[in-house]
Amino acid sequence: MTTITTPPTYSTRTATAARAENVSKFYGSGDATVTALDNVSVGLAAGQFTAIMGPSGSGKSTLLHMLAGLDRPTSGKVFLGDTDISSLKDKALTLLRRDRIGFIFQSFNLLPTMTAAENIILPMRIAGRRPDDHWVASIVETVGLSGRLGHRPSQLSGGQQQRVAAARALASRPEIVFADEPTGALDSRSGAELLGFLRKAVTELGQTVVMVTHDATAASYADRVIFLADGHIVDEMHQPSADAVLDYMKHLGA
Amino acid sequence: MLTTTLRGMVAHKLRLVLTTASIALGVAFLAGTLVLTDTMGTAFQQLFGKVSAGTDAVVRTEASYTASEGVGTSRSPIDAKVLDEVRKVDGVRVAEGSVSGYALLTDNDGKAILTKGGAPTMGYSMTADEKLRGDVELLSGERPDSPNEVAIDATSAEDNDIALGSTIKVLFQGPTQEFTVVGTVGYGDEKDLGGTTSAYFDTATAQKLVGQPGTFDTIDVSAEEGVGQSELAERLDAVVPEGTEAVTGKTVAEENSDAVEKDLKMVGILFMIFAGIALFVGAFIIWNTFTMIVTQRSREIALMRAIGATRRQVLRSLLLEAVLLGAGASAVGVGLGLAVAKGLKMLMDVVGFSLPSTSLQVEPRTIIVSMLVGTLVTVVAALVPARRATKVLPVEALRESTPGGEKTSKRRAFIGLTVLAAGVAGMLSSLYGGVTMKAFGLGLVAALLGVIVSLPLIVRPLSALIAAPMKLRGMPGELAKQNAMRNPRRTSSTAAALMIGLTLVVSMSVFASSLKASFGEVIGDKTNADLYVTSSSAQGPGFSPSVIDAVEDVPGVETVSTSGWGMARFGGEDTTYSSVDPATAADLMKMDLSQGSLSDLGKDTVVVSKATATSERLELGDTVESEFAATGKHQLEVVGIYDSKGWITDNYVISIEQQNTYAGAQLIASGLVKIAEGADLDEVKDAVSAALADHPDAKVLDQDGFEAEASGFIDGLLLFVTVMLLLAVMIALLGIVNTLALSVFERTRELGLLRAVGMTRGQVRAMVRWESVVISLIGAMSGAGLGIGIGLALSKALEDEGITGISIPGPQIALYVALAAVAGVLAAVGPAKSAAKVDVLKAVVTD
Repeated sequence: MTTITTPPTYSTRTATAARAENVSKFYGSGDATVTALDNVSVGLAAGQFTAIMGPSGSGKSTLLHMLAGLDRPTSGKVFLGDTDISSLKDKALTLLRRDRIGFIFQSFNLLPTMTAAENIILPMRIAGRRPDDHWVASIVETVGLSGRLGHRPSQLSGGQQQRVAAARALASRPEIVFADEPTGALDSRSGAELLGFLRKAVTELGQTVVMVTHDATAASYADRVIFLADGHIVDEMHQPSADAVLDYMKHLGA
Repeated sequence: MLTTTLRGMVAHKLRLVLTTASIALGVAFLAGTLVLTDTMGTAFQQLFGKVSAGTDAVVRTEASYTASEGVGTSRSPIDAKVLDEVRKVDGVRVAEGSVSGYALLTDNDGKAILTKGGAPTMGYSMTADEKLRGDVELLSGERPDSPNEVAIDATSAEDNDIALGSTIKVLFQGPTQEFTVVGTVGYGDEKDLGGTTSAYFDTATAQKLVGQPGTFDTIDVSAEEGVGQSELAERLDAVVPEGTEAVTGKTVAEENSDAVEKDLKMVGILFMIFAGIALFVGAFIIWNTFTMIVTQRSREIALMRAIGATRRQVLRSLLLEAVLLGAGASAVGVGLGLAVAKGLKMLMDVVGFSLPSTSLQVEPRTIIVSMLVGTLVTVVAALVPARRATKVLPVEALRESTPGGEKTSKRRAFIGLTVLAAGVAGMLSSLYGGVTMKAFGLGLVAALLGVIVSLPLIVRPLSALIAAPMKLRGMPGELAKQNAMRNPRRTSSTAAALMIGLTLVVSMSVFASSLKASFGEVIGDKTNADLYVTSSSAQGPGFSPSVIDAVEDVPGVETVSTSGWGMARFGGEDTTYSSVDPATAADLMKMDLSQGSLSDLGKDTVVVSKATATSERLELGDTVESEFAATGKHQLEVVGIYDSKGWITDNYVISIEQQNTYAGAQLIASGLVKIAEGADLDEVKDAVSAALADHPDAKVLDQDGFEAEASGFIDGLLLFVTVMLLLAVMIALLGIVNTLALSVFERTRELGLLRAVGMTRGQVRAMVRWESVVISLIGAMSGAGLGIGIGLALSKALEDEGITGISIPGPQIALYVALAAVAGVLAAVGPAKSAAKVDVLKAVVTD
């Protein structure tokens, strides 16, 4: 892997890349109401790799969806940089996702009809912008996909697909990259490669990455781990090791 | 298994509605056609039954021959003296002669009362005996009993405000006469006979004006009480002279209704063809739907197989779904059929074929046939996809599959092209090789199937071509193109449904356009006429010869060349023939004889076309046997062979004088006018027009006017066909909606991903819309291409029949294609909306 020479430039550079203020999310109504998030406030530092952990049903994915503008809180506010995204209309929110956020999902990250290269520049094409060819080339090289750009997703392994997704997430130079269980469907080696790449993006490029995971090893790549249980933030850990995370998770009963 | 099937159907309501509609519409057309033809048949039979209700026996001449087409039998008139013989027969209460023939009514202003859709204008004798009139009854006034009195049908009287006691002119083959209207006539509950205008005269007047003095068409007999119909007919038959016969009133009524049924059968077959097209298109949508259902359910099917369902059970479950769908849709279709029958009747009224009304006749046969056909079409269309479902392996339940593309095979190309080639060969051999039109139909179906089979192979290049301008629309356009291309078989079978409709519409347009161009050419180049005198209604039978006398007297008119036509048997074959004026036809009609001379065309002679001379091996001096209904057989000597068809296109041409001898006095079909040198065309035209004021049965047109009239008529027919095919096009559009809806459903996750990475709702809608436009344009463009080919082949093949001008109506076809694109946009409205509503979270989060 080569070093990346052109660091991304951000339009709005703040110490806190994204934050949630008293965010609650309820599903259903009446007796059937389920509380996914209960009055959660959290700030995510720019240029940091943050992992969100917690047992199933803890609300970790819900929190990520709120922060990423994929879902709206029942109450409370969500900010991306200085923008209150919880008050945005669908169109503005969509454009914000397109221009300022990168995504990596657990699976089905790519359009089957497009080649790897086309998938990588998809958000920019949707925006009608010309991608920065040098930047894209360096990203592609970093994730190690140079020989596979002309392949369609069905011709790529799961790990390669996720690396394409990671390249896509970074290609438009977003303020923040959200990853929802990105290694959930990968074997451990492919998973390690992907996490290593995300780590590198943070360290070398100053990229902000927020990742939801239930895997302690994955969390150990992060600078900071936030633990959720029953819709509350219960604890956090800085510079975690896999063992420490695992122990804490056992303590949480996951 | 049944509950799974039912639940699956109910779970996809939109799909259920769309697939039901696509079959139901075709079935509705079928049921509507059956209901309408039954209704028309019943109505006509009631009508004829009533009209001849009071007649127990009919004496008439034996038919010289029965025409194989048209309304049955032509007979020569019967000598009036036979009436005296008939009256002497024991058991005859009363007998009267009756005649009928051409009579054109005029209104209070002297203008001709024209009928719609070519319904005849008739004159009849009215019997003195009321019972003999059957259901023909005087609604007001009294029976005409002097030479200056007429009774007319109530519709003509009411529509034209003709009051009893007023004086109107009536035009005949011979001189025009004025009459006092003394009565109005109705027929049971009807005020006219299926759109016909009718004039009734006393028998002697009718003989003079619409028949021949001293003869009757038939002698109608009413029996004394206690004498049966057959008994009476037998007694009469024993005394009538050679060459005449007596039959029962019942027989005549049956003959009449048989003849009508034969005519209606043609109408029924015509509608049936359109119903068949609609069902064929509907079958595509079923095929498509089931293919998509099977793809979508492959995990479910694999799971069922994994837990022990046999292939047979899987197949049965899908076919059961098809049967339920087909039967349900057919039931809906039968219900809609009543509305379709009413709609078709209205359409026929608009086109001008007004029908006697009676309540809609829904026979059990209609319901059974419609249900069976609808269900069968559905099941057959579902059969192949269902069989494919049985090939799903149990292990596929465990695989994560994304709806992906497929490979197109060489085998498909081979089969498709072979079938296409066979179809084209079939069409060409029927067009040029003189094989029947049935072969053309089969060839057309085969060619269409061939194209449908090979269409997936060209979907990719075609989409790329169509979508090229869409690249300007950015990512949504690009994605739309890729989506249309990713599953060529699905795209092509969706587009094929539209293609079928467009092929037929476009080929008809090309044919009609060529027809118009040829007609223009005939008028422009193939006559030397300056003006044209024609029947005042475009579909009228012609006008009285006295019109020509009037036109010839107009200053500035140099020559008038008349022509007529008729049906007779030449060389043992029923055919139309032309009659011309031998002195002027060579010049005005540009009849160039390659052999012989027109001036020899006189008594017992005939001029034949080169084609017929070749096929029948006729040479100058040979004889052709002809047979006319009115006068029987005549041996005609061939005195000329003409080469170039133009104004005259019939294979046999005789002189007008001879036509009047063989077939009785005839109307003139048209008169070509040449004006004197130096005369001003417009002035002469105005003068002829003024001279025709007293002749409302004819009008004068210049070249442009004549061409416009012919074009209008052709356009009317084209419109009718297009309206009929519109249903097939509508079903095809439902198919596009269906395919898009299913594709959107199938691509939920993709849509979610696109939304997550920043595609706006508007962009998603645009993407679905453009995909729809690509699909419709594939259908429209391939249909237009195929249609142009078929239309040209058809026109070219009929070159011998006078279609010499080939014309492709470019702007019109471009309009059809553009309309298809617009329809594509409309078809996408619903699916685009649901695509834009996809919940991002549900789509991207793995559960």
